[in-house]
Order: sequence, then structure tokens, then C-alpha cells
Amino acid sequence: MARYGMALDYKNCINCKACEVACKEENGVELGAEKHRIWVGGNNPEGAWPLLDMASASFLPSQCQQCDDAPCQEVCPTHATYYDENGVVRVDADKCILCSYCMNACPYDARYVDERTMTVDKCTFCSDTRLARGETTTACQNTCPTKVRTFGDLDDPESEISELLRTRDHFSLKAHLGTKPKLFYLT
Amino acid sequence: MCYNTHMNIIETSRRKFLQGSVSLCIYATSALSSPWQTTKTSNKKTTDTPYLCNMCRNKCAGYARVENGLITKLNPNHNFPKSRNMLCPKGNAGIQAIYDEDRLKYPLIRIGNRGDGQYKRATWDEAYEYIKEKLVKIIDEQKDNRSTIAYCNGEGFNKDEYIKFFGSKLGSANFLDEGSICLNTKLGATQLTIGDVGEMDVAGSDYMIISGANRYESLITPDSVDMIHSKQKLVVLDPRCTVTAIKADEYLPLYPGTDLAFCLSMMYIAFKEELYDKKYVNEQFDDFEKLKAHILSQKYTPEWAESKTHIPSQKIEKITREFFAASNPLYYLGRRSVWSQNDFQLRRAMVLINALAGSVNRKGGIIFGQPIKLNDEEINEPLYNNAEGRFDLDGIVYGSQKGGSWLNFREKVVSKTAPYPVKAMFIRKHNLMQNMPNIAKTKKMLEMMDLVVVLDTMPSDTAMMADVILPECTYLEREDMVVSFNRLEPSLALRNQVIESLYESRSMQDILKGLGKKLSVPLFHVSAKYDEDLQDSIKEDGLHKAFVEGGYDMAELYGYNTTQRNKRLITKQFGKEVYNSLKEKGVWYPYMDEQKELFNDFYEYYPPEKRFYTIDKKYRVNAYLKKLEKAGFDAMPTWHKYYDFNLHEDEFRVITGRYVTTTQSATANNVMLKDFEKENYLWINNNNAKRLGIKTGDSVVVMSSVSSIVIKANPTNKIAPNVLWIPHGFGIDSQEMTNAYAKGASDNMIIEDKFEKIYGCATMHETNVTLRKL
Repeated sequence: MARYGMALDYKNCINCKACEVACKEENGVELGAEKHRIWVGGNNPEGAWPLLDMASASFLPSQCQQCDDAPCQEVCPTHATYYDENGVVRVDADKCILCSYCMNACPYDARYVDERTMTVDKCTFCSDTRLARGETTTACQNTCPTKVRTFGDLDDPESEISELLRTRDHFSLKAHLGTKPKLFYLT
Repeated sequence: MCYNTHMNIIETSRRKFLQGSVSLCIYATSALSSPWQTTKTSNKKTTDTPYLCNMCRNKCAGYARVENGLITKLNPNHNFPKSRNMLCPKGNAGIQAIYDEDRLKYPLIRIGNRGDGQYKRATWDEAYEYIKEKLVKIIDEQKDNRSTIAYCNGEGFNKDEYIKFFGSKLGSANFLDEGSICLNTKLGATQLTIGDVGEMDVAGSDYMIISGANRYESLITPDSVDMIHSKQKLVVLDPRCTVTAIKADEYLPLYPGTDLAFCLSMMYIAFKEELYDKKYVNEQFDDFEKLKAHILSQKYTPEWAESKTHIPSQKIEKITREFFAASNPLYYLGRRSVWSQNDFQLRRAMVLINALAGSVNRKGGIIFGQPIKLNDEEINEPLYNNAEGRFDLDGIVYGSQKGGSWLNFREKVVSKTAPYPVKAMFIRKHNLMQNMPNIAKTKKMLEMMDLVVVLDTMPSDTAMMADVILPECTYLEREDMVVSFNRLEPSLALRNQVIESLYESRSMQDILKGLGKKLSVPLFHVSAKYDEDLQDSIKEDGLHKAFVEGGYDMAELYGYNTTQRNKRLITKQFGKEVYNSLKEKGVWYPYMDEQKELFNDFYEYYPPEKRFYTIDKKYRVNAYLKKLEKAGFDAMPTWHKYYDFNLHEDEFRVITGRYVTTTQSATANNVMLKDFEKENYLWINNNNAKRLGIKTGDSVVVMSSVSSIVIKANPTNKIAPNVLWIPHGFGIDSQEMTNAYAKGASDNMIIEDKFEKIYGCATMHETNVTLRKL
């Protein structure tokens, strides 16, 4: 039993796509550009060359925010979306009826349709792959050239993530919605 | 589903940042349908095999997970100092390279015309036999001039062994590699200026300037990783606002080819304000006063540099002062293709700036370090009296004696001005039909050959020009010879075999072994016909002894397989423990036991006091190169009027580069990486595009003196006016590459084949073009 979360030192992100490919290979995510569990958003610099406003340019790695109060779980009519024992928002492929309520409910646009399994799939924190084997990292964290992500147990005060969240300022995406994400962006 | 570029916050949506709206439109319409899919890893523990990646030149270390004989995942190997426990997107997508359905599976012999892709499947022996018959005829016709066989290799691993086979054993002087279409000017400039090519200590630098090297999209380990984790100030000069520019502390946009003006001005300010390290200069410089007088008398003032580069003079002054005031400043020398005629002197100016700051052979500078020397496996080399020398360095001042000059070679072959005909080519992992300017000319060269043999894993554009295609296995299907890496934190690493080779593909060693066995005796008899010394030794010692003692057995190195060779070599030189470490962990370095985790899976490898920042080495800084003066070139970095970026309103300068998800044309068919960039987009300044009525996704025709291409446009504010960026690695012409064929356009179709005369390197950024909307 743990309460898994992730801290993202997002300013170190160079948008190299390593996390996205590692995630796809580890979790057998369907190929296709729209089929991904993680992605990098951001902004181009504003202005005209050579007077570009570099402060306006940024990269923001994103994925399922693993909300403690997940709208996708709340609206699911078949309870296909559920919390596992580690607080990870998971999907039961057998129960999913592709109604897409979860896709509409998710404020982070984190869910997509896997057309092979006919499931509205999502990031699982590698729960049924790496974590199930006793590993302590997710594929995206492990492969990252700049080590943007720190994954761990929020309930363990000794964990690296707990230490980070105690010592560094951080924010959550769309915090005002009250979804209580377990992804924390370090500033 | 198309999103406009003016959208401010897109951070929480499933959008890609990259290229604004361009790729989004593509993504939405292009669900890639490949029969191959990813395989989810299981919840079972496995014993993973340490390997070295081969998706680009870096050779990062990884562990391969195998389930039921299938590679299901590649993970970073935390033991390797060089790659710092990471795998990039290409490294992760290596699985798709192994299981690419378009892979070369069997030996093939051409039955149609060159380039039309008609081949028949052959056995290995049939392929070798075909090669033998052609080669015997060619070498006989050329009276045992072995240099009529040119051979090339664009891949770092196994290169020296490949040279041993075709250079030492077969006896050809004509070896060509990627250096002259890549970074030879940088290597040469460093070697000639400070006596060694050195290594840049990025992690140790507190202030770094980068000209054009796009380290966050063209990843180099450990540099790209160290840049993020060091607390240095980063200054980036580039005509294009790259990811590296976005991540920099200061981005200085400038016009292409004008970096040298910036460097000259930095030197001017350093001399004028006496910012340089006087102690270092007194101790190490030769001809310092000459350099100083030259730079000052040429009046390379910041104002002058502003007029060339477009960087404000105050900015140049500020950066220069900061640089020389820093404790460990580094002007990053780059690692990429050569840009223009001034490239050798540009790299030299960078080296000299480092030297003026004292940043040589010390922390954070260009370090000499102490690489681990591996013993060579000695072979018996035959002497061929009739083998002539290489001709591609004629007219080149220095040039690389190893890898030569591709464009000069090709020019001499095509124009028939070479001193003797080149009749055959052996091409390994070197996509000639994509990798050098003016593809039509490469095609012409290959068409002139009596025999073209390609060793590769993919049916590339070059493979389609071959008479015989020999399928090599990929990097995860073979063990390679142990390799020594780096100088500051040196280590050994071994590419272990992960799975048995697929189809009928073979390792290079096995291919050469088979070829050697087939060719040795017949070619020996050709030599015996023409070589008087050989005739004498046959008379004296008899046929057999002359063959054996003369070293004519081309397969000599292959009496043992690679695993046996590695074991012998490593155990003999370093002992059993080192060998075991290389087999079990893929890596060995002296302080492995002291490796410690600094944070979050990020490690310290060598303890700081054990790193080879400074070594005891005698060297001089050569400010003035007399040989260049004698050859009629600048002995010191100098600006010339024709370096000016000065274009007519309707003219554009083409520059190249690549996406983070591509390695030149080698990854063109990778189904995973194709999801990110299905085709390439031409970056054009948004104001230029507006004037020409070009919108995002419009097809445009780009015309140079060589040829023209059609490519879709990406108008953006991130590039200088009158400059076009064409990402390399697209526009594949081989229909056998089903994911890549006819997607986007190839930059080298239109880049003119010019080369500089110091190292004979292709100058990739000197082509002016016009364009119009299709």
C-alpha cells in the first residue's frame, strides 16, 4: 500500500520525446500519433525575429494527473475507472463500454481510446508492468535524459518525492478545479 | 482538427508543442497503420542483457529486456559514465528498428537496373561468388591496383576492423567515412591549434557559449545531459530558435555563417581590454603577438561584428566580458556538419578563444584527459606494389588521411580526373544517396561502378544502387568488439548480443569472414600475376608459404568469433574481473565501486578528484599556422567579404539540421519515430511567408542551381528572414522503405556540392535558393 505521486522538475524538460516512446514500448501503447499517455505541451516564443520574447517559451510535460478526486472516475457509469490500492487511477478493460464520459470529464485531456482493446486508456504509473515486477521507477522517469520526473510514495515521509515537495515550491495543473492531482510541478 | 498557432496556453491538452500547428494537422489525419505493434512488458522479472545503443553515434548503454525471445523493452544502463543513465527517443525506439518489416533479410543480387529495386534472393555463397567473379576481373584489369576498390563506412563501431579488411588486407587506399560530411574541420582545428582533439568538459564549465550546435535536439552524451544539470550560464547563437536556444540563458539570433565575425570580435575585445589569461598566454602560446596584432589591426570591433551578425554590439561586449570573467568558461566547439568556407577558421577561432581564457587542459575547458588505451589485435599485412595512393586529398591543405574527402573523391571519379579508375565500391552503413550534397552526382558516381556492394540493415536509397546487398544484423543481434570511451571519465563498454540474428542477417565480422574466405586465394593469384616481389617470394618459399607469411589470408582476424576475441583481448590486458563486469554490466571503469546516486536515478561516476581534468602534457597553442600561409590560405582566423550574409530580397539561404527523433536518414523508416514526424517541414520566416502568400502546410517549390524539391512550409518567427531550414533525413526514394518513401523532401537534392579546401569538407550552408508556392 502506497500513495504514488510524481514531481516534475518541468523546467528541465527539453521536449525530446524519450518519455513518450519509453511509455509506449513499456506499456504496449498502440502506435499512432494520437495514441499516447504522456506528451509535452508548451508555448513558442512570441515576437518577431530577432526580437523574440524568450521568457514566453516553455515546455510542459504532461500526462494523467492521477487526481485524488478524479472526475473521470466519478462519471464512469460502469466503474471501469477505479482507484487501485496505491491510489493510482486505473481502467478495467473488461468493464469499459467506450461511452467516453471520462474523456469529456477529464480536465487534462489525458485519456485516449485504444482501438485494439476498445478501452479508454490512460497512464497507469506503469502499475501493471514495472511496479508489478517490484521496480521503483516508471518508464518515463527512468529513461529521461534530464531526469525531470521523481516518482514515489507520498505517504512515506522518507521518500525522495516527499523530500522534494517539502523543500521546493510546486503547483498543480488547474488546481482551482479541486481535482487534487498527485502530479506536482516544481518551480 | 487543426489548432492555430496563436493559442497561448496549450499545456494541459494532448497537443504537441513542436512546430506549432503544422504537425498537429498532420497528426490528426495520419493514423499510422503498421502491422507491427508495441508489446506490453509482463509483470515477470527477467535477467536483462547489457548492450550499447546504435541508433546514433553516441553509443549509450542500455539493458534489453527479452520475453519469449522477443525484445520488449530497452532501458538505460546506469553503470555507464558517458550516457548518464538515459535513453533518448531513438534509443527507446530501437526495438522498432530490429523488428522493422522492411529490413534486409537475405542476400540479394540485382536483376534490374540500378535504382529500380529489382533483386533476386541469393544464398550467402552465391552472393560471395558473384562478388568474387567481379572483383577478380576488375583487379586483373587494373593490374592489381587494389585502390580501384573504394570502400566506405559511416558507422563508428567496427570501422577500424572494416579498414583492416579492405585497407590492410585487400590493400585499397581509398577509404571514405562521414568525417568530411561532418565534423573534420573541428577535429582538425583543435588538433592543429592545441595538438590534440581533446574533449569538452561541459559539466565543469560555469559559462558556455554554443554556436549553432543544437545540443537539445541533436543529443550528445554526456554533453546534453550535463548542460541541464550544471549551473552554468548558457549562451546560444543560432539563426534558428531551436530548443537549445529556448533553454539558453541568452539567445543571440544571428545570420548564418557569421559566427566567425562574433568570435573575431570576442578576440578583439579580449585584446583591447586585456581580458585574456596572461599567465596562460605567456606559458603556452606561440605567435601570440602576431595574433593580437592581426585581430586589432583588422579592427574586428563589436560594431563591425554587429554589421555582420546582427547581434547588437553591446551584447557582444557584455558576453565577452562575462566569458573572460568566468572561472571555467567554455566556447563549445560544436559537433555537426561543416557550414561554410570559413568553417576551419571558425572552429580554430573557438579553440583560440578557449585558449585565451586559459580553458585548455583544465576543468570546464577543452581537456586532454586520459582515455583507456585498448591493445590492438595485430594482423599480418600484405604489401601490394601495384596499389596506388589515394587521390581525394589532392588540392586539400590538410584533410583526414583516414576518412578523406567525399566531395573531392566523387568529383574526381565523376569527372574522370582521378589518376586511375575506381571500379568498385563496398559501402557499409553509409547512405551515400542521402548523406551528401547533390544526390544526382552521387547517383552518377555509383552508376559508373562495375561493382557496388552494400552492407546494411535497411533497403536504403544507396542499397537500391547496389549490385549485391549483404544484410547485416542490427546492434541487438551481435556482440561487437569492446570499445574505449571518453577522456575525462574514461570507461570501457561492450555491446553484448541480446538475441540471435533474425532472418539470414549476419554480423559484419561474419560477413567479412565469409568474404575473406572466398576472395583471399583468387585475389592472391591476381597479385601473383602482376606483383614482382610476390613472384620472387613464391619462387623462394613456394605458393603456400608466400600466401600465409605474406598475410594474404583476408579472414585472418576471424579464426575466433567476436566473443572469443573479446575474452582474449580483455582478459589479457585487464584481467578477468574487467571482462566479467563488461559481460554482466556492459561497462567497466576504475571507480565503479564508488559510483553513487546523487538524486533521482542520476549518478556521480568518477569522484571529482579522480577525473582527468588536467594531465601532465607538453603542448603549445599555435596561433599561426605556417602551412596554411604557404598554401595561400589565412594562417589566422580572418574575415573575407564573401563571408557576408548578403542576399537579394527574393533569395534564401538553406540551412540544415534535424529533428530530435531522427538520426540523419538512418531512422527514416522507424514506425515509432514516424509518429512524431511523418514528413519534414520547411521553416520559413513568417514575414517572408506572408509576403509570398505562403501559409502553414502549403507546398512550395525550392530551387537551387542543382535541382529543386517540393516541401510543405512551416512559417515561423523562429528563423531569420531569408533563411530556410530543411530538417534532414526525409524524401527517401527507396520504395522498399514503406514508412519513409516519398515523405517530405531531401535537403541534399538541392544543396550545392561545394567543399572547403582545408579539410575537404562539404559546406552544407552555402546554397542560395529561390522559392515559390506550388
